[in-house]
Amino acid sequence: MIQHVGNHPFGKKHRPHEVVIETLLFLFALFSILITVGIAFILVRESFLFFADPDVDLLGFLTGKVWQPMIGLFGFLPLLNATLTTSLIAMLLGIPLGLFVAIYLAEYASDRVRGFLKPTLEVLAGIPTIVYGYFALTFMTPLLRSIFGENRVDIYNTASAGLVIGILVLPMIATMAEDAITSVPKDLRLAAYALGGTSIETTFKVVIPAALSGLSATFLLALSRAIGETMVVALAAGAGPNLTANPFKAAETITGYIVRISGGDVSYNSVDYNSIFALGLVLFVITFTLNLVSRKISGLFHQEYD
Amino acid sequence: MKKVVLVTMLFLALASLFAGGKSEQSTPVANSFAWVEEGTIHGLPMVNPLKVTGNIITAGSSTVYPLSERMAERFKEEGYRGVITIDSIGSGAGFERFTVAGETDIANASRPIKAKEIDAAKSIGRTPLEFRVGTDALAVVVSKANTFAKNVTKEELARLFSTATTWKDVNPSWPNEPIQRFIPGTDSGTFDYFAEEIFASNPEPLLSAKNLQLSEDDNILVQGIKGSPYAVGFFGYAYYAENEASLNILSINGVEAVKANVDNNTYPLARPLFLYSDAAVMRSKPQVAAFIDFYLSYVNEEVIKVGYFPASEEAIDKGRKLWLEAMQGTY
Amino acid sequence: MLSETLFGTDEMMTSLMQKRKAGGVVWKVVFLFSTSLAILFLLLLLVSVIDSTFGYVAVRNEMEPSQLVAGKDAVSEFSRAELETVLQEHLSSGILRRVLHDKPLQERSKTDLVSLAQQYVVKPSVVRSWGLGDSLLDQKSIEAFMAGNEGLHLTFRSWINWSFFTSDQSANPLNAGVRTAFLGSLWIIMITFVFAFPIGVGAAIYLEEYAVDNKLNRLLQLNIFNLSAVPSIIYGLLGLAVFVRSMEHITSGAFLSSVSDTTANGRTILSGGLTLALLVLPIIIINTQEALKAVPDSLRMSSYGVGATKWQTIASHVLPASIDRILTGTILALSRALGETAPLVVIGASTFISVDPSSIFSKFTTLPIQIYQWSARPQGAYRNVAGAAIITLMLLLMAMNSFAIIMRDKISKKKRMES
Repeated sequence: MIQHVGNHPFGKKHRPHEVVIETLLFLFALFSILITVGIAFILVRESFLFFADPDVDLLGFLTGKVWQPMIGLFGFLPLLNATLTTSLIAMLLGIPLGLFVAIYLAEYASDRVRGFLKPTLEVLAGIPTIVYGYFALTFMTPLLRSIFGENRVDIYNTASAGLVIGILVLPMIATMAEDAITSVPKDLRLAAYALGGTSIETTFKVVIPAALSGLSATFLLALSRAIGETMVVALAAGAGPNLTANPFKAAETITGYIVRISGGDVSYNSVDYNSIFALGLVLFVITFTLNLVSRKISGLFHQEYD
Repeated sequence: MKKVVLVTMLFLALASLFAGGKSEQSTPVANSFAWVEEGTIHGLPMVNPLKVTGNIITAGSSTVYPLSERMAERFKEEGYRGVITIDSIGSGAGFERFTVAGETDIANASRPIKAKEIDAAKSIGRTPLEFRVGTDALAVVVSKANTFAKNVTKEELARLFSTATTWKDVNPSWPNEPIQRFIPGTDSGTFDYFAEEIFASNPEPLLSAKNLQLSEDDNILVQGIKGSPYAVGFFGYAYYAENEASLNILSINGVEAVKANVDNNTYPLARPLFLYSDAAVMRSKPQVAAFIDFYLSYVNEEVIKVGYFPASEEAIDKGRKLWLEAMQGTY
Repeated sequence: MLSETLFGTDEMMTSLMQKRKAGGVVWKVVFLFSTSLAILFLLLLLVSVIDSTFGYVAVRNEMEPSQLVAGKDAVSEFSRAELETVLQEHLSSGILRRVLHDKPLQERSKTDLVSLAQQYVVKPSVVRSWGLGDSLLDQKSIEAFMAGNEGLHLTFRSWINWSFFTSDQSANPLNAGVRTAFLGSLWIIMITFVFAFPIGVGAAIYLEEYAVDNKLNRLLQLNIFNLSAVPSIIYGLLGLAVFVRSMEHITSGAFLSSVSDTTANGRTILSGGLTLALLVLPIIIINTQEALKAVPDSLRMSSYGVGATKWQTIASHVLPASIDRILTGTILALSRALGETAPLVVIGASTFISVDPSSIFSKFTTLPIQIYQWSARPQGAYRNVAGAAIITLMLLLMAMNSFAIIMRDKISKKKRMES
């Protein structure tokens, strides 16, 4: 028996609004590509204008040791150096602590402790970065100055900023590392126990290596986060580009510079305005690469066990 | 329920788009000089801030900022209800917004306007009018913990901020410690003024100095200088006055930065503070004229409290005359 | 015997086991130590904020109450008649005119008169402030300071109080408040929500329900993941170039002739909201996808089974089943946007703004930017105000997150009751 719906035999009824809705939703999803394209386009275009300026040349930019736009010096090494110093210090604090907290949470903590610790980490993760900046300026810097002496530690310094960024990324590392560790199948642990391993040996010799790709992905993402961090360095690290290996001295990072210049409001079309985009492009490339690599690595991880 | 949520959100969205509007004062031109009162003060009509409507947009010097902030606050305290925004971005950037983008009604400046800035203004149909509002004694400061430096000659000052690496290089009786420098950024009128006075307008030696931190935000400079006995910097006097407890000011060529020396022009680093506006802007936005009138009438009552020094009455009078000329026939 | 040759002696075995166990204990201590450090950091953070929000303040009065009315040390002790006389005599003509215009003195409450006299006649200013820790533990140096300085008054002050919420910016930290910043934050979040929620949820619906697993869609997925990890300052740069500059005509409101002299440029709430919308969009998409994934397929299948189309299924089954998680995640994303500072600084929030935002084309300042500006000021009293502003921000965030959780619980309870 064939039922007729409208003029068609029993089958798909022509529903135009379904197609419209699907197209609309597809466009929404495509919008996200538009954002990425937009970011890339703007950064590249303004950077192009920056490098087109007669005072600026690419080699000088990449290798120059002084950044002083007003007198035509555009070496970005001081800014890069400061960014790397703060990020390195942040990783030195954040990765070990974050990893240990994650191991504790995943392998050793009782349910009661977990019930208390996980929300604490969530709270820490939700605190706005400006509060961490305030903390760096009002607590960490005076602390460092009282430990190491006021003439050794400047009032603006990269160590203070780096340490606080480490605290900032700690919850993120802990949570993601814990996910990676708990994703390791129980069988592996049981096998290790069966062979007579203690829980510590199991953790370090079996679980961690098994979770390694997930953990590496976590660390790369944390590094990317630390590199892109702005408010902590804007308040605590310093206001002048400075190529130095001493973390107790003031030095401006890439992000700190962008914020300072755009806060001072540069004229559109000056070399200063374009320079913040060129630096933004560098920042984008670095963090984008780290994120991509991180994703690739954790993709490898998923393949092994699914 | 989903439908309700969607509809509510859409409604809120639309409402937010057009909410307000009413509280923004859109000015019917006929009443806009209602703020003019009987009587004059220093030759200018008295202003009743209660009757001033419309918004005022200003931007520029971080040195002038505390003074403008105080005048704006007083304007509000006496009844002004509109929006007045003051962006502290440096004299150069302030002029940019006023003369090139035409975004602001008033430019605050700690240096006189340059010829090319005047040209830029003309090309967008504006003729800058200069209103002197005060005098700053540029303060060269060190931390309270610095017990050795009390005075510098102009020439020592030049070395202090360029080629010298340690304090000893500047003055042999001073310690052999590296100098930490905190100076206003290159968009700042203070920076321009210092380069002009001490380095004959060539900023290069200043910018090539070692251990240099720049910021348009004078608060950051104060913070930095407080931090070490071997730090030095300069900025508008008001920022020194605000932080007298933690900073020491150096005298220049033996002359201290006090009112007497500023008034009789013996302090070498005394410099004028200005507002700039344009006659057409003042006439089409009477609230701007009202604010400038108010400013010029009462600034000498507030300037000392803010931490600067009063400009001479004659200097301010020049501005008052310009105001009267610009506003002739409007009220 | 066999055990001796293969695995060593009993003693060796025991010592080896002990060493292994000891190693375990050492590491356990390390883990516990790390965990306590993490908790310690949180506590330190909270303590340093609370420390600056309460404490003693040494204040200098421009005019002492005893100079106004002999024998009385505080304005609150004045009688009503005395207050009215004082105000009439000592307020400047301009301020008096405004005060009388707003409300005649006779109609004002006594507390109102007290605060007027305090603010405009007595005019206290902060000479020195101390944190809570110092106030409680270091009384001696406070007393020494008071003894060493003439004419100061010492009061214990909570920098976060009702007038802090209701006042706007001021040059005097005693009078400064966050009202303008608070409203600015709320306005911007509203704009962010209006733009990011429909697009985000729509995109997620497409990716989860409609997309086939082909190259384009996997690229979209990867792209969204990358966007969620881009530093927020990059979004600021994008917003500056696109919304503030290129779209200035729209974002400054110039296209609507009714808002003529409000702002002359694109540094408006609209630009700020749009920029943050771009920032939270990937987060909302990812979160909504997770929520949709959690809806069991059986629900969809049973809907198709009775002949519903794809969209009907989504609209009447999948979305209601996941709306609680979607909304919770969205609110959490918005609270992240609430705390963002860098992108808005790049866009150009105002340094001094004295009137509340009245439309989406107003200039703005937000809570985090206020905290940034106050933290950067070296005078001690601004630390206190910054601390109070931080507490305000945290309270607002807590309120939003609690609201999200409560709503989620309510909706899931409703779901359970209906099913």
